[in-house]
Amino acid sequence: MKKTILFIFLITIIISACEKDDFCIQNPVTPNLVLRFYDNTNRETIKTAQRLSVWSDGKDTLAIYTSVNTDSIAIPLNTLSEETIYNLKINNIDGKIANNKIATFTIKYTTQEDYVSRSCGYRILFNNVNLSVDSNSWVIDFTPVTLTTVDNQNAAHVQIFH
Amino acid sequence: MYKYFISICFLFVGLNGFSQEQQQEIKKTDTIVYKSKYGIRLGIDISKPILTQLSSTYSGLEIVADYRISKRFYAAAEIGFEEETSAEDFTNSTVKGNYIRLGFNFNAYENWLDMNNEILLGYRYGFSLFDQTLNSYTPNVTNLENGIYFPVNAITVPQTVTGLNAHWSEFIIGIKVETFNNFFVGFNVSYKVLMSVKDPENFKSLYAPGFNRIFETNTGFGFNYTLSYLIPFRKK
Repeated sequence: MKKTILFIFLITIIISACEKDDFCIQNPVTPNLVLRFYDNTNRETIKTAQRLSVWSDGKDTLAIYTSVNTDSIAIPLNTLSEETIYNLKINNIDGKIANNKIATFTIKYTTQEDYVSRSCGYRILFNNVNLSVDSNSWVIDFTPVTLTTVDNQNAAHVQIFH
Repeated sequence: MYKYFISICFLFVGLNGFSQEQQQEIKKTDTIVYKSKYGIRLGIDISKPILTQLSSTYSGLEIVADYRISKRFYAAAEIGFEEETSAEDFTNSTVKGNYIRLGFNFNAYENWLDMNNEILLGYRYGFSLFDQTLNSYTPNVTNLENGIYFPVNAITVPQTVTGLNAHWSEFIIGIKVETFNNFFVGFNVSYKVLMSVKDPENFKSLYAPGFNRIFETNTGFGFNYTLSYLIPFRKK
């Protein structure tokens, strides 16, 4: 009887050793592209984009960027493609559809898989990132046009002037 | 009848004291020296075949051996084979390979008479050669704010990297008991510190045979449940 208990105890230890004991605490693992909005005339000053909505072509609006007032956004890029097209809508007058202004960003890049850790797995890095915006939009200028790599989101990658 | 038992015992109290007095008078010196057996001890780690039966992601076998050098020291070695699949959230990989551990055990137990039990402290140097296959993986694009906006595909083309190796140091504490003549049952736990490991490119060795799971701090734990048989060469 005593030995049976010992055996069960031993098996419990063995099985409990297989339980997960680490979790990925990094967020996000794959970096987002961070855009920050500045005033075009006074380029040092942050200028909030009003009633901003962000969506990619053929997809729903990003839940956290649905008609919000913000000075920066972090948007995910499509890892299965080498191009992501984003529409940024602002409305700095009122909530009427007629006053919506849309800018369409085309972001081209190459992807690279990079191993992080046991719990986080692989992340995707974006290299040779190239941005362009449609000529007739609320975005007057942005910098830089090309980025060597997007491997973190500690700081804004792109400054947008409007 | 039973209630008189203790009383009967008291009857012999005086007698006992008397017989001891007599022995002291003889003053006989004890010349019997209990010889202990020296030899090679061979066995297997039975936890590994049991785990192989119970788990679909593990198979392994380990042969253990030790040779008694002196009263307290034993040279010890283990060789084995292990195959283990690590299923993580974003990766699934299989490690397969062989290992050897060499070192010594120190018996900290003071045996009475002709007992042959051990409370052992040990050190091992471990070396393993293995292959690791990345069976499948899913790039981690989860994001607390946006969720998964763009879908990802799991990559299920297995990628095998051969010729990986690991070196480590191991500290052991355990017990060994002689249950029948020359037949021993032992249990030990070990703490392992990795000295070096060869990782696949753009991946990591998540498991090393003989070492078990490699933790982030490059340490590991192990246990052995051994059955072994002593082949005595001489008595000393």
